Amino acid sequence: MAAAAVTLEQIDWENPEQIGLWRDAWQRFRRNPIAVGGLIFVCLLVLDALLAPLLVTLHLIADPLKQNVAHTYAGFSLQHLLGTDYLGRDLLSRVMFGARISLSIGLIVQAIYLAIGGTIGLIAGYFGGRVDNLLMRFVDIWYAFPDLLFLLVVVAVLGPSLFTIFVAIGVIGWVDLSRLIRGQVLSLKEKEFVEGARAAGSGPSKIILRHLLPNTLGPIIVSLTFGIPRAIFLEATLSYLGVGIPPPTPSWGIMIQDGYQAIFAYPHQVLVPALALAITMLSFSFIGDGLRDAIDPRMRR
Amino acid sequence: MDDSVARFRWLRVPALVTVVGLLVAACGTSSPTTSNLAKDQTLRVNIVTEPNSLDPGQQQYSYEGAIGASISEALLKIKPDLSDAAPATASSYTISSDGLTWTFKIRSNAKWSDGKPVTAADFVYAWQRILDPRLAASYADPYFVGTIAGAADYSNLDAVKDAAKIPAFLAGLGLSAPDASTFVVKLQAPTPFFKWIASLWMSAPVRKDVVDQYGSDKWATSANSLITNGQYKVSELVSKDHITLVPNTNYWGGQPTVTKIINYEISDDNQAYAKYLNGELDTVNVPLANTDLVKNDPKLKNEIKFVPQLTLFWMDFNTRKAPFNNKQARLAFSKAIDRNALTTNVLKGRSQPATFFIPKGMNGYRPDLGKSQDFDPAAAKTMLTQAVGDPSKITIDFLIRNITANKQIGEFIADQLQTNLGVKVNQVVIDSKTVTTRLRAHNYSLYVGGWGADYPDDQDWFDIWMTGSGNVFGGYSNPAYDALVKKADIEPDAKKRQDYYDQAQKILIDDAGGGFLYQRNYMFLVKPYVQGLTTTAQDFEDVGDWFWGKVSIGQH
Amino acid sequence: MALAQGAPPRGALISFKIPRGRGASLGLYIIRRILWLIPVLFFVITITFVLIHFAPGSPWDKEGKQLSAAVVRNLNAKYGLSDPFLVQYGRYLLNVLHFDFGLSFQYEDQPVSSLILKSWPPTAVIGALAFLMIVIFGIGTGVVAALRQNTWIDYIVVGFSTIGASTPAFVVGIILIIIFSVALYRITGSNFSLPTGDFALDQHLIMPVVTLSVLPIAFIARLTRASTLEVLRQDYVRTAWAKGLRERLVVTKHVLKNSLIPVVSALGPTFAVLITGSVIVESVFNIPGIGRAFVIAVSSRDYPMILATTILFSVVVALANLVVDLLYTVIDPRVRLG
Repeated sequence: MAAAAVTLEQIDWENPEQIGLWRDAWQRFRRNPIAVGGLIFVCLLVLDALLAPLLVTLHLIADPLKQNVAHTYAGFSLQHLLGTDYLGRDLLSRVMFGARISLSIGLIVQAIYLAIGGTIGLIAGYFGGRVDNLLMRFVDIWYAFPDLLFLLVVVAVLGPSLFTIFVAIGVIGWVDLSRLIRGQVLSLKEKEFVEGARAAGSGPSKIILRHLLPNTLGPIIVSLTFGIPRAIFLEATLSYLGVGIPPPTPSWGIMIQDGYQAIFAYPHQVLVPALALAITMLSFSFIGDGLRDAIDPRMRR
Repeated sequence: MDDSVARFRWLRVPALVTVVGLLVAACGTSSPTTSNLAKDQTLRVNIVTEPNSLDPGQQQYSYEGAIGASISEALLKIKPDLSDAAPATASSYTISSDGLTWTFKIRSNAKWSDGKPVTAADFVYAWQRILDPRLAASYADPYFVGTIAGAADYSNLDAVKDAAKIPAFLAGLGLSAPDASTFVVKLQAPTPFFKWIASLWMSAPVRKDVVDQYGSDKWATSANSLITNGQYKVSELVSKDHITLVPNTNYWGGQPTVTKIINYEISDDNQAYAKYLNGELDTVNVPLANTDLVKNDPKLKNEIKFVPQLTLFWMDFNTRKAPFNNKQARLAFSKAIDRNALTTNVLKGRSQPATFFIPKGMNGYRPDLGKSQDFDPAAAKTMLTQAVGDPSKITIDFLIRNITANKQIGEFIADQLQTNLGVKVNQVVIDSKTVTTRLRAHNYSLYVGGWGADYPDDQDWFDIWMTGSGNVFGGYSNPAYDALVKKADIEPDAKKRQDYYDQAQKILIDDAGGGFLYQRNYMFLVKPYVQGLTTTAQDFEDVGDWFWGKVSIGQH
Repeated sequence: MALAQGAPPRGALISFKIPRGRGASLGLYIIRRILWLIPVLFFVITITFVLIHFAPGSPWDKEGKQLSAAVVRNLNAKYGLSDPFLVQYGRYLLNVLHFDFGLSFQYEDQPVSSLILKSWPPTAVIGALAFLMIVIFGIGTGVVAALRQNTWIDYIVVGFSTIGASTPAFVVGIILIIIFSVALYRITGSNFSLPTGDFALDQHLIMPVVTLSVLPIAFIARLTRASTLEVLRQDYVRTAWAKGLRERLVVTKHVLKNSLIPVVSALGPTFAVLITGSVIVESVFNIPGIGRAFVIAVSSRDYPMILATTILFSVVVALANLVVDLLYTVIDPRVRLG
């Protein structure tokens, strides 16, 4: 409960309270049912990604690559719980296998973004001046040059494979995050708590990591959470443009793209992978919210 | 490769011959009585892709022909049943007894869209222009370079380095106009199929004064300067959106009933389909996935038009690389594909299986020759093992263009080969240009290619499998085949000619130069008020687009 | 909470005036940033040129019937592609200095600049309208959701934004088409027809604009919400809010000021992306825009078109980033640039 006697004039707008340390964050997270729900789903997804091939060997789910062209575009049935696709392959197992690709792309690419974009954003924002100018002009160049062309060349040189796609997407897309973080840092570094830390003798890396980074978490988490479906869609768009994951490996992006062709006749082709994506996205977003609430105990509930 | 998005068709199409029942259903009836005609005679169709150029000398793609066939008229024009090329801008023609000189009489009342008369000199100019290395016209070689006297030197002339020699080269071609209504063509050798070349829409005349006034690059880019001689002319060009055609009031052959044709450029299948459903398009290509839906819909199933096309698709084997350097191996691969499953299930009945080279509708159609490639998985596996050993040790690089339809077919074929033969197939799906580059560099093992007729003569087909041809990448070469085709191409006696071609086809099939797969058809929805639709087996982007002049719009 | 130094005087609102003494330096800053465009463009052109020459496939490779070697040779001569790389590069740079961007390879000799001038306006108009919607609805719903955290309004906003973020543009687009074009037609006989014909500012634009803005609205709403919550977490802010209208106005202004920085950061690239076009939305709705034109140019290796479009995009992006940086100083005068 706040001190009831604080007047408007007494509020210090320029110096927000800092986000506290990471202690007890897990405890607080655990007490948040929605966040935990999200976490459970993501864990199930990861399990599915890891175990899917085993499940096929044990005949618990169908082989996602097995074609049966006599039964294309089938609807829901006992034999095929979610129906079949344009070559008669079981949709349930394709969705389960798709999770492996989509999850990897979503997570690994975000990690690359955080690593490259986060670093550049933090450095540019903190040091300002010439460093900021040079880094941001570098970002301008990166933004502008034609992604598709770059991808074509990379795929031609390295061959179309999952690794190539990761590298390519990761290397292209980190710029947004860097601008986001830089903007936050530019604003925060003028605050007095940073002055205080500097005066107390903390070096730049300590200031950046201990004080600036935690206070930029909110927008970063949103950006990363949204980045996961974005990466998955990007993979689908890339397949549409010919630089995607080679067949016959299923991925949600490819399934959505293929399903779109049949949207008039067989809407479930698109709905099944789209729902899988939506639920995954929802789970990550609950985890994100929960994380933010857990890290700062002063977050209102 | 098959693809439901017609814009990637490299086919450009004259003429039809097809199953009697379908054609009778599709063919136009006599002109309708005026009482049931709609007030607004506007036809709206979709050509999918914006033409790169409307200059006849520069055109090559089917979506360009879709416009070109209406606005430009050549000496002759294909008949709807593809049995012959009928007089068009030329009222008649004679061939000299040695077969080397063709003399065309230009109609006295043939007029350009601006009213000036069409003269023989316009044809001389247009054909010289096509053969001018500086224009770099796509259809110059081999259609004109291989037939017109004096044109063979084209391949040796560099547009920049030999620029000084070009005027003399052009003047030395066998093209002349002794008077305004006589166009004389001298050929390199007797060419029985030359009438078809004279019916190619790219061979339409071009006005020298218009080109000089606006520039060779610019005259065809705006409706004002695009002076053409066809039944229609362009009235509106909105880039990436539509091209509007209106009748050429000076056309010699009378005025058509349809007074406006709007050719939209909608690349998304689903959007085009939606527009047909809500009445904004009068015809539409049925998206592959919607085939069954449309066939079962009580209203739509009566609007279906099914038109076979002179196309054939096959597995292109790179004969320079194992295992395809071995004939038995190639035959084994061909016998491992269940074509019926492909055409009935994957292609939803819109294509026909084929184990032979020449499609139905051509004179050279001989399905009986295809026995050696018939589906037989057990025999296939045995053949392969005997020829090259353990199949599981073989890995094939299968090049596939990144178009949805190609991917679907590719996935099926790869699965068939893996299941029925036990080989490993790497599906390499990359963008189209890269695929072509790799094909030309012979950096592949398997590819699904195909051919569509330029004109309904066997010569157009058989030449592509000859040694050194640039249109088949696998390097197939059989001197016996070459000799037969060379003889057939110039043979004046029709029966002997067909006999040579038949023998050549048998060699090709038994050699498994290609693993022949299927023939493609068009499945369109056409509004019931579109009357007089005249389809051919060489339609471009829309069924009936060779003969929009016969269409009328009924009341609706 | 102890009162810290530097509290603003009573009744002070956000000053939109740039603090005195900084006016001249701000003007200089803008000029310097614009001058920086030159080296940026130079790098972009060079990198793109190199990429083009490394990209496999030539503009003359066709899908079906192959061009003969003689024709290919003549085409290369016509467009100067047979010259050595450095000659082509130098020639291109010289031409760019004269604002001559060359002729398109694909659309038989039409100047690239006229192609771009024809295809950019539709994209830009739709992009700008979508941006307006994103700013209004994205920020609006995000702030409301944050102020009403954990109420049903909040849940609705979060829910919709999740759905919006998980549905790719082409699915949204075709769903809209099915609902408004097809189904509506079946029921009422009239239809919400799709953009066709001469591009005009009319109701045909509604569907592509909506499709284009769904995902960015979702993202901006969440971002605004998260950022606003960060500011609101102060207990005394809540207290002040409860006190009355005047206090609420002050609180709102300060909350917005502090929470908008990351939102503005995200809006900058969002704007740039919108103005430069989405190939998917343009394909589904058949808009003759530059997004699609660019993808087609890359697929057909139309080198001059690729280069010119890239130059345009660079300029747009650089300017958008500049505006974003300037906005930082407006929102938070303490931010020091350059």
